[in-house]
Parts: sequence; structure tokens; C-alpha cells
Amino acid sequence: MRLPLTVLLMVCGIAVPLVVSEFWTFIAIEVLVFALYASSFNLLLGYGGMLSFGHAAFFGVGGYATALLVKKGGLSVGLALVGAPLAAAAVAAVIGYFCVRRSGIYFAMLTFACQMLLYTIALKASGLTGGDDGITGIRPTGILSNSIAYYYFTLSLVGMALYLMWRLVNSPFGYALRALRTNPGRLRYVGVPVRAHQWMTFVIAGGLAGLAGGLFALSIGSIFPSWLNWTASATPVVMAVLGGLHSFVGPMLGAAVYVILEVVISGHTEYWPLAMGCIILVLVLVLPEGLTGWRSLQARLRPFGGSGGR
Amino acid sequence: MEDLISFFVQHFGWLQYPLVIARQLLAAISNGMLLFLISAGLSLIFGVSRILNFAHGVLFMLGAYLAVTIALLGPGTITAYLAALIGGTAGLFVVGALVETGLLRRIYHAPHEFQLLLTFALVFIFGDVVKLLWGREDHSMAVPSLLTGATRGFGLTFPTYRLFLIVFGLFVAAVLWYLLQRTRWGIFVRAATMDRQMLSALGVNTHRLFTGVFAAGAGLAGLGGALAAPIVAVGPGLHVQVIIDAFVVVVIGGMGSVFGALVGSLLVGIVNAFGLLAFPSLAVVLTFALMAVILIVRPWGLFGSRE
Amino acid sequence: MAGSGPVLRVENLHKNFGGVQALGGVDLEVEKGEFRAIIGPNGAGKSTFFNTLTGLIRADSGRTLFEGRNITRQTPDTLARLGVARTFQITSVFSDLTALQNLQVALLGYRGATWNPWRSARTIGLERSNQLLHLVGLAEVTDLLAGTLAHGDQKRLELAIALAGRPRLLLLDEPTAGMTARERLESIRLVHRIASELGLTVVFTEHDMAVVFEVATRISVLHQGRLLAEGTPEAVRNDPQVQQVYLGDAVIDAERDDPEGRLA
Repeated sequence: MRLPLTVLLMVCGIAVPLVVSEFWTFIAIEVLVFALYASSFNLLLGYGGMLSFGHAAFFGVGGYATALLVKKGGLSVGLALVGAPLAAAAVAAVIGYFCVRRSGIYFAMLTFACQMLLYTIALKASGLTGGDDGITGIRPTGILSNSIAYYYFTLSLVGMALYLMWRLVNSPFGYALRALRTNPGRLRYVGVPVRAHQWMTFVIAGGLAGLAGGLFALSIGSIFPSWLNWTASATPVVMAVLGGLHSFVGPMLGAAVYVILEVVISGHTEYWPLAMGCIILVLVLVLPEGLTGWRSLQARLRPFGGSGGR
Repeated sequence: MEDLISFFVQHFGWLQYPLVIARQLLAAISNGMLLFLISAGLSLIFGVSRILNFAHGVLFMLGAYLAVTIALLGPGTITAYLAALIGGTAGLFVVGALVETGLLRRIYHAPHEFQLLLTFALVFIFGDVVKLLWGREDHSMAVPSLLTGATRGFGLTFPTYRLFLIVFGLFVAAVLWYLLQRTRWGIFVRAATMDRQMLSALGVNTHRLFTGVFAAGAGLAGLGGALAAPIVAVGPGLHVQVIIDAFVVVVIGGMGSVFGALVGSLLVGIVNAFGLLAFPSLAVVLTFALMAVILIVRPWGLFGSRE
Repeated sequence: MAGSGPVLRVENLHKNFGGVQALGGVDLEVEKGEFRAIIGPNGAGKSTFFNTLTGLIRADSGRTLFEGRNITRQTPDTLARLGVARTFQITSVFSDLTALQNLQVALLGYRGATWNPWRSARTIGLERSNQLLHLVGLAEVTDLLAGTLAHGDQKRLELAIALAGRPRLLLLDEPTAGMTARERLESIRLVHRIASELGLTVVFTEHDMAVVFEVATRISVLHQGRLLAEGTPEAVRNDPQVQQVYLGDAVIDAERDDPEGRLA
């Protein structure tokens, strides 16, 4: 990323809660969480070339793990948020093991089936998960009950996670991932165990989504099975495509735009899905490269590492 | 040992009552027929265009709503009922054609995520459109006078309407079979399922074919919705569960195979019905587990073509 | 163990595809430094043989040994890291990455270094990557996306990728496929020069006889899944069985590709 842009973003990020109302601070927290969520999805799709219809599963698992650890395990927020990505990564490890054996539409449907499996478990295992009623009352107490404090808390965790992801996509693993998206067959012949790399990407993406889910569950204080229903699996896809799949910051931008659009539109009408559907149509038919599309065009003509980074 | 016995009694006790089994079986098959109408369309659309139409559930739902509205012209009468069936089917046929030509056609060559997003967008849009047009409460439709009540046979009493569904479903299956096996259009559709590029290389107008298949699939879903309207609560949430079941069927039966959709629908209907008897809380999990297993072991399903 | 035996040894390789016997017991030995051509009419089993060697297909029975080590059941990625590299008939590069990045990925792969999630990969292997690109004549286009390169350049890139891991055995699948007659000779001469410089052993399949006779040190002829003949180019050319099997193909090829009459 260009240095001045990064600095600008960081300054904005730090300044936000100081200049906006509490309501908008909450929205800003949501933006941060979904920026991480969308970026984790893009690790799979934009970098690894794997389209998952079931990424919401890990967001939900992270949320449920955090909720359970706080409510039933009595753990502190910090520890619960360590548990979230670990639980999500563990689930991703199991699901991923089976899913990476397939590719394309079968891979996608398998991730979908696994998410629905988790959804039904969340719905039925009411002893554990509260069933349809979900788990409530998990807002942090103490310092973090203050929304500004929680914002900075979220900012630091998300920032750290995104930094780790940034290093990952520019590392040897990241290079292998990009090559994987382009030509998985060829990659084997240069000595890369492709399936293992796909699996590892799945696990990491799942873990990051889990962290996002945990942070979100705590911020709104509750979690419900609907987080795991199939309609939720569109959210990360929309955000990533909206922002642009072929850049690191694209999904984050998409998340920000999506969240803000939702807040604004939901404030005026109850038909947010209708609006979202129309926005998606416009996006898909008119603006397929997303909001950062013009950058991807530039990146194609310049060596990697110049502007924006891929 | 006692625990084992009571376990069996609790979960499989129904096996000793053939009447219960028979009744569940008939219910399962009638549900399966409705599921077949939706899944057949979904499977054909996927087979021909490789697009997984998430919006198929809302098409079903739209058909149900249309039927309910049309039937209001003469609630309970056969003519209104027939009009509702025709209206539901034809209406959705048109909707399908419009959606395909206006929207889907532009993204056939786009990456999968765009196709996914487009069909999702339709789910969101139509899901809200029905709320706008019909409100949020559930609607109902009267069973037509000839088909109310129950039929007796072999010591069983079974709702007549459901028997009608079974018969009608088999009729539609036969019509589909005829269309696919004995008409020129059917040959093209089956060929497209196997090899799209070859088909256009042979000079077949694939655009019109895709439109036709999508419209037909939508029409079938609409028909299914119209048929289901008298026995379900027609509300805005109707589509959510339906599409899931349809996906399971299409995976089991094999994407692109109508016969697979029939077999899969009956299978899912039966597993659901008897699963509910045996393990009420686990039944739902069973269907997804089955779907996952098939995708892992034999992703092209029972009758799909390997790819 | 290198140097004390054949680089590649194939013993009694069988492969059946649903009733069709693609390979019916192939035996082969390739010594270090050889430039071995595998030829044969269509359907002779060349592709199957090649794909079995490189781990894409599993043989039904038989063994493959690389430098004395059994590689019969190895996966393609393991083979690559052991020192066996291959190129593809249909050019296969990483089209969304630059030529330089293609090489960097290859280097990382062959070294098994793709598990590192932290280090910046931008400058890894820069020197060697540039060196390889220079070797195959692509020094001018290092920063272009591989997908935008001309077909001939993509083939060179493929060669560079194959060379990145310092392989000791290079397997080339129809290396001149899709090229014009002149490009073919140029290309195979380049490969031969590089192979000699680096002391590589090369095994390649080929349809074009002009290319084969230009560079091959020994030729193996496959026919109906079995080895029909093997020997020096001269010996093979004059082998009556080979002539019989090839008579139809060779006449057509000769008239088109071999106006100087290199073929008997």
C-alpha cells in the first residue's frame, strides 16, 4: 500500500470515535469487524481462487465460541477472543480437509452443506447454543463496556490481524497462493503440495473470520443461529466484490461501504434486502471490478509491489 | 440392555404399525412430488447453464402467491383452482424468461462469484417484493371442492389432495420425460447438459435454449408453488427452506438429471418423513450430512454426469 | 548415487484404461547427459508414458527409478523437489503473475519454501530468477505479465520454470508443439545448448522428426504401448520395423517437414 494512504487511513481510524457520536462509533466498530471478515473471505477467493458459499460458518462459530466462553465459561473478553479464532480455525481444519478435495462448484456446494450442518446444530443443540433464542447478554463489562474503548480494542485487534494477513499475502506462502489461483495444476509441478496449501488457506481464512465474529458478537452483545443461515453467506461475497477482489484493501472498502449503506438505508425503510439486491445487480452488471477496479487495471501494467499491491 | 430396548422402542417403535408406515410413506411421496417440481427445474438449469439458481425457492414462492391471489376469484371452486395453477405456471414462466434474458444472459461468462451474487440478489429482491405486494402475514388457499377430504383405501384414510399431488406429480414427470426424450428441444437440452460448447459449434441457438430452459424451470417451480399453496402457509419465509431441500435433492440426484431429481426428491421426502419419526431433532441434520457425504464421495450424484 | 547408474530407469510399466492397454510393459534406461527422444505414432502411449513418469497417472504395475531411487508412487510435487522437472505440451505458466514472479514462485516451490507466511517474498531469488530469464532469452520481459507474452516466449518461460529447481532430469512434453517449423529447430537447439551447459539429462516426446534428428542422442520408439526399437538415431532410422510402423506418417511428415530427405 502506498505509504501516505496508509498513514491517512490510520489517522482516520484513530480519530473516528473522537469526532462522531456513539451511534456512529458502533457503526465504525461494525465496519472494522466486517473489514476483517471480508478480507478473510478474499484470502480464499481473490488470492487463492477458492469460492466458498459457506464462509459465514466461521464467522458464526467464532461468535458462538466467544459467547459460550464468556457466558458459560466465565472467561474474560481477551481470552474469549483468543478462543474465537482458534475454534473457528479448528472447525475450518475439519471442514477444509474434506472441501479441498473438490474444486469449483462442488467445493462451493460442500462448503454450503457444511455451513448448513452447523446452522442446524446451532438451532437444535439448544442446551448448548440456546437454540432459536441464541445467546444474549454477552456485552463486555468493565472498561470495554465503553464504546470508545471497545472501538480502540477492536481497532488494535483488527489492525494486527490485517497486518498479519498483509505479511501473509506478500510472503512465499502468499506467492504460492496467487500462483494457485492462476494455475493450480502447474503449481504442483514446481514442487508445491497444492492441496495442503489450499487447506492451510482455508484454516487461516476461517480463523480470521472467527475473530471477526467474536468481536462482533461481543459488540452487539448477542448471537443467533441466523448468523449461520445460508442467506448470511452472501455478505462476505458482496463486500469483497463490491470493494474489488484484486486488491488488498478492496474488501475493506467494500465492507465500509456496505455497512454504511445498510445503516443509512435501513434507517429509511424496512426493505433493506430489496435495496441490497438492487445494489448487487448494479455491481454485477455494471461494475464487476468493484470500487477499486481502476486500480486493478493499473496493477496489471505495473510490476507487483508498485501501487496498491495485489 | 434395557436402555437399548427402550432406545429402539422410542425411535423405531413405529415400525410395528404398518398403517403408520403407509401413511408416512404417502405423505413423503406427496411432499417428494412438490420437491421434484422445484428440483427438476433447478437441475435442468444447472445442467444446461452451469448456474446454481439460488433464486429458485423464491420462484416457487411467487407461484404460490400468484395462485393464492388468482384463487380468490372463486375460492374452493375447481375453475379458480385450475386458473391458479395455470396462472402460477405461466406467470413464472414469463418471469423466468425475463430474468434470463435481462440479467442472467449477461453473466454466463463471468466468474462464479458473480453468478452466485446475481441469483442471491434475486432472492433478496423478490423476497421483499412479495412483502410489498402481499404484506407480511401468511395467506392461505382453499383446497378445491373436488379434492377436499380424505380417501379411504386399504384401511387407510389419506387426504385426497395429497393423493392428487402424487398422481399429478407423476403426470408432470411423464410429460417431462416425453419432452426430454422424444422432442428435438429435449435432445438439445440433454446435449447441452453434456457439452455446451459442442452444441453451439453445431449451430444450435444456445441463447434461445438457455432462455427456454430457465423459463421452463421457473414455470415448474411456479407450478410447484401453486400446487403447494392449498396445503402450506404462504408467507414471505416460504422460500428459505425450500431451496435448501432442492439443493440436497439436486446433489443427490445429480446435477442436470431430471430422473435424478425424481429419485432424489422421493429419497429426501422419505428420509425426512421417517427421520422425523425416528429422530425428530436430528432429521434435519441427516439431510445435510447426506448432502456433504455425496459431495465428498460422489459429487456428480446418482445420475449426474461426471465432469 | 548420481553418476553410478542410469539417471532414469523404467521397469515393466503397465497401464490399463478400462480395458484399453495403454502401456504393456515398457522398459527404459536413460544415462546421464543423454538427450533421449521418445517417438511413436499416435496412440502409441507416449502421453500415458510421460504422465506416468511425472506422477500424473498411477501405473498399474512396474517401477520407475530416478537415480536409483524408487519414484513410482510419488506425487508430482515430490518429484519436482527431488530434481525431476517437466514442461507441458500446452503451455502452462502463471498468467496473472509477471515472468519474474513466475520464476520466483518456481524457486520457492522447488526449495519447499512456500510455507513461510511472514518473510517478504518480493526480493527472494531475484538474482537467480533474472539469471534464468536471461538464459532463455527473456531478459527484456521480466516485468510483463506472463499471460501477455507471445506464445514462443511463454514456452521459454516454461523452460526457465522447469530449470529453476536445478533439476537433474528434464522431461519435456512435445516441447515444440504449436510452433512453426523454423521456431521448432531454434527452440530445440536452445534447449539442447542449455542442457549441455548445465549437464542435464533430457527425455522428450516429439512428433516432428526434424526436431528429433537435430538433437537426440538416442531414440526410443513406442508402438501400441510397448518399446518397438531403441538406439542411436541412425540405427532407429534404418530399423525396418520402425520404417514399417512409420511408413504412413513418415511419408507425409517427410514431404512436409523434411525436404532435404533426412529420413530414409
